[in-house]
Amino acid sequence: MENRPHFKTLWLGVLLVLPQLLLVLTFFYWPTGAALFWAFTLEQPWGGGSQFVGLDNFSNIFTDRFYWESVLRSLVFGVGASALAMGIALVLALFCDRQLRGYAYYRTALVWPFAVAAPAAAVAFRYIFAPEAGVFAALNQLYPNLWNPATNGDHAMIMIIIAYSWKYVAYNFIFFLAGLQAIPRSLVEAGAMDGAGVLRRMRDIQLPLLTPTFFFLLVINLTDSFVDSFGIVDITTEGGPSKATTLMVYKIYFDGFKGLDYSGAAAQSIVLMVLVMTLTVVQFRYIERRIHYK
Amino acid sequence: MQIFRRAAMALAFSTMLGVAADATAQQRIKFELWQGLTGDLGERVNDVCKRFNESQAEFEIACISQGSYDEAVQNSIAAFRAKKHPTIVQVFDAGTADLMLSGAFYPAKQLMADFGHQVDWSRYFPGISNYYATSKGELYSFPFNSSTAIFYWNKDAFAKVGRTAGPKTWEEVEGISRELKKAGYACPFAFEHDTWQMMEQFSAIHGQPIATRGNGYEGLDAELVFNKTRFVDYVKFLKKGLDEGIFAIKEKVSGATISEAFSSGDCQMTMMSVAGHGTVSKTAKAGMNWDVAMLPLFDGTKRTNSLVGGASLWALSGKSKDEYRGAAAFFAFIAKPESEEFFSTVTGYIPVTIPGFNFMKAKGFYEKAPYKGREVALESLTASEVTPNSRGIRLGGFIQIRKETRDALQAIFSDKMTVEAGLNQAVERGNAILRRFERTYAGKQLP
Amino acid sequence: MIERTPVLNIATHAILVVGLLIAFLPMWLVFVAATLTIEQINNPPISLLPGSELIANLTAAWNRAQLGSKMLNSLFVALLVASGKIAIASLTAFAIVFFRFPGRMVVFWMIFVTLMLPLEVRIVPTYAVAANALAPAQAVLEVVGIAWLWQVLTGVKLALEWNLLNSYTGLVLPLVATATGTFLFRQFYMTIPAEIVEAARMDGARPLRFLRDMLIPLSKTNMAALFTIMFIYAWNQYLWPILVTTDRANYGTAVMELKRLIPTSASTGGGTPDWNVAMAGCLIVMLPPLVVVALMQRYFVRGLIGADK
Repeated sequence: MENRPHFKTLWLGVLLVLPQLLLVLTFFYWPTGAALFWAFTLEQPWGGGSQFVGLDNFSNIFTDRFYWESVLRSLVFGVGASALAMGIALVLALFCDRQLRGYAYYRTALVWPFAVAAPAAAVAFRYIFAPEAGVFAALNQLYPNLWNPATNGDHAMIMIIIAYSWKYVAYNFIFFLAGLQAIPRSLVEAGAMDGAGVLRRMRDIQLPLLTPTFFFLLVINLTDSFVDSFGIVDITTEGGPSKATTLMVYKIYFDGFKGLDYSGAAAQSIVLMVLVMTLTVVQFRYIERRIHYK
Repeated sequence: MQIFRRAAMALAFSTMLGVAADATAQQRIKFELWQGLTGDLGERVNDVCKRFNESQAEFEIACISQGSYDEAVQNSIAAFRAKKHPTIVQVFDAGTADLMLSGAFYPAKQLMADFGHQVDWSRYFPGISNYYATSKGELYSFPFNSSTAIFYWNKDAFAKVGRTAGPKTWEEVEGISRELKKAGYACPFAFEHDTWQMMEQFSAIHGQPIATRGNGYEGLDAELVFNKTRFVDYVKFLKKGLDEGIFAIKEKVSGATISEAFSSGDCQMTMMSVAGHGTVSKTAKAGMNWDVAMLPLFDGTKRTNSLVGGASLWALSGKSKDEYRGAAAFFAFIAKPESEEFFSTVTGYIPVTIPGFNFMKAKGFYEKAPYKGREVALESLTASEVTPNSRGIRLGGFIQIRKETRDALQAIFSDKMTVEAGLNQAVERGNAILRRFERTYAGKQLP
Repeated sequence: MIERTPVLNIATHAILVVGLLIAFLPMWLVFVAATLTIEQINNPPISLLPGSELIANLTAAWNRAQLGSKMLNSLFVALLVASGKIAIASLTAFAIVFFRFPGRMVVFWMIFVTLMLPLEVRIVPTYAVAANALAPAQAVLEVVGIAWLWQVLTGVKLALEWNLLNSYTGLVLPLVATATGTFLFRQFYMTIPAEIVEAARMDGARPLRFLRDMLIPLSKTNMAALFTIMFIYAWNQYLWPILVTTDRANYGTAVMELKRLIPTSASTGGGTPDWNVAMAGCLIVMLPPLVVVALMQRYFVRGLIGADK
């Protein structure tokens, strides 16, 4: 990246980032700084006062066995949900991009799930996954307890991974498709001239050229699965059965938003941010090197 | 661009309308109430506000739904800290301790006295008012939407096994469940992990403490004790029924909530809030006969009053005198028997004052369907003098404590932990939450 | 696209149809739920075939939530957020990729970190900023002493205030400031071959002209994708709008109203569990995003020019 040609006007570059920088400083860093400072205090929610407690909030978290379990679960969830959402979306986008008959319909329809408001999706998934009433009820009649997210933690985890990924398949699909469409037709045609078959062209031409999009989506998917997944947990399993789906961010949401323990939630938020930041840096350091930017 | 222009026009237009409306209502003093209910219940709260606005010309209250109890509290805190808060906020039962310690409110009793309203505080059912009062019995907020847990039973199924009355004891529930099972009913009795019904109500009506220091009323140093009370026997009892297949857990994740499982006739007995009475009336399978009773007791136990659930209305501090005058008028308005009748008719909630209840009873409210049976809730709430174990629960971080307990119950009922180990774990983790809360409010005393 | 591959074509259709089923099954259930009566929807298992109450439920949802005027509000907000994001994100990414100013990467990472903490966790201090967006600026001025200087020179205490509550600015501005778009544009700009940039520089093209004549036309598909996603994202926002608007008559959004239709859970309230009406509301509120998805499709055109070598 450093060797790329660039413009010399320094002030213009600074001027161009200024709007976003100001917005981010005002609406993110200023309040977030205040919220994260609570991690070192015990803060009374209604603003009656607080006292400095140093790192106590952190030692509370780190000595809790259940907290470490939630870290592990978040990793499983993040990797599982990202792989599922990106894998399915990539396959669909590659095949949709062949532009066979009816392609415009597929294209529109596959983006729709992203437009479904959360409460509606929750109701739908409730009917799909309910072991006694849903689509799985028939299976359970044949093989009792084959599927029971109400009591089986692994099943509950699979359920939230699928329910969460469903929306992100649509999200990833639209960006993959946009990425594929930005690949010049001539390149793919040249491949065809050389006698490469459809699948071969996907592998040798389209996939490498798609890596910048892939990298973008990988980073976003992983980050979102760590940060944005509390909603689906809250409307489906509420972290249960017995903590089996209590992800780090759900615990933060529960303690801070519902339970008014601002200080505990702030400390957990810092840990979560450090974890996600580390994951992101690792991705930029090790994965971005393999990206085919041109 | 067309769209922008239209939106801009709509905006300009609505601003004009707003100005016009202002001109006519200029004399009225406006204030806000933030509430946490949605769906038709949210609409009904708005109706209460509308009735207040129509009943007088001096004030205008705006009731604004914040989406849920959690959001109502959270948004009010955010607004309070930025000094943009409403005059009144609806706070659910478990949010009481934090608010009481915050000093961020105008105590109900003082508010009414300051603005010249004579209130006879003994009008309120002690079982309800004590939940929101200080340890000395002074009300800091106004009980609003209130309920308690009751027992629901299916008359048709009971008739099949030759019974005509609801069960009074848990031993009876067990026996009837066996009979129903034998008669071919797959789910005789259903319950859920919700600790309000399972732990809190059970402990109250059996006179068992949940925590020391009068369930926390007397001090922030209270400790949980529900791993040493009869609640342990109760959990064992439920576990035994589950293992035998005569009890079942019904929750959203498993396919049907207890309310749905009962309404559809799949489960023959359950326990839930009296507020669900209306829900069952509206959704029960056509022709299904059902009735309600007080929660069962273990044999040989004397009944103590059950606990109230729901929310109360708090006046927050830092508003103008005029707004408080309006708030006081509003509180006086909702405490009128007619207002109570209205709210209890359009929702499943119960009246919170004795005159309100008597007024409705005299009018025959509780004799006709679909309201018949709801008086059981008041019978349950007034079953005894209020005792230190049944006036309420004043524990900090109670939302998290409920969660820890629920997690433990799930582990117990799915065979991952023994009853003792599970409850010990819940108490140990709950106590850590209490100590943390005590430290957060170091130097402060519960009133 | 050129050769005949009958077997693969069938496989392609099969894969896409499976994808469609996965996408549609939940939506179908939402649709079915919107066609049932209140008894039917509260007696699981619900059927997989629609009932007869669709029109009644749609009408009830439309009237109860007053969706008409609220949808117009939502549309206005979502369009502003989506366009604002694209504008800001493309400028920032442009600066980061094509300029070399000190702190360039710091800026990129600073923007990136905003993805890592949900609003729910920072709601209390964020509200304070919405109540006075100039509070941070005021604090900075006070710390560096400008506020003091101002007071000495003019005799007036400097008190900056800009209240965003109950305004379109408040609904839009905070949502514009996130990182997704910036990152996407960065990824795309990095694929622009060096030769093109070099050529533009040799021609003496000024940076902004390069942005307008080269980058923007090239990133049309990506912009369309981002616009779609951001429009829907803004459309479905819930917690922020509910927090900053108490004047619901003028500034309420459709999703806020939709949330009001969702029955309170049986354990807290026991109201009428009319999920059928709530789901009908979902169908209505879902429509504008679907129209946007369909409209944006025209910009999904295969690039003919560009990165060819």
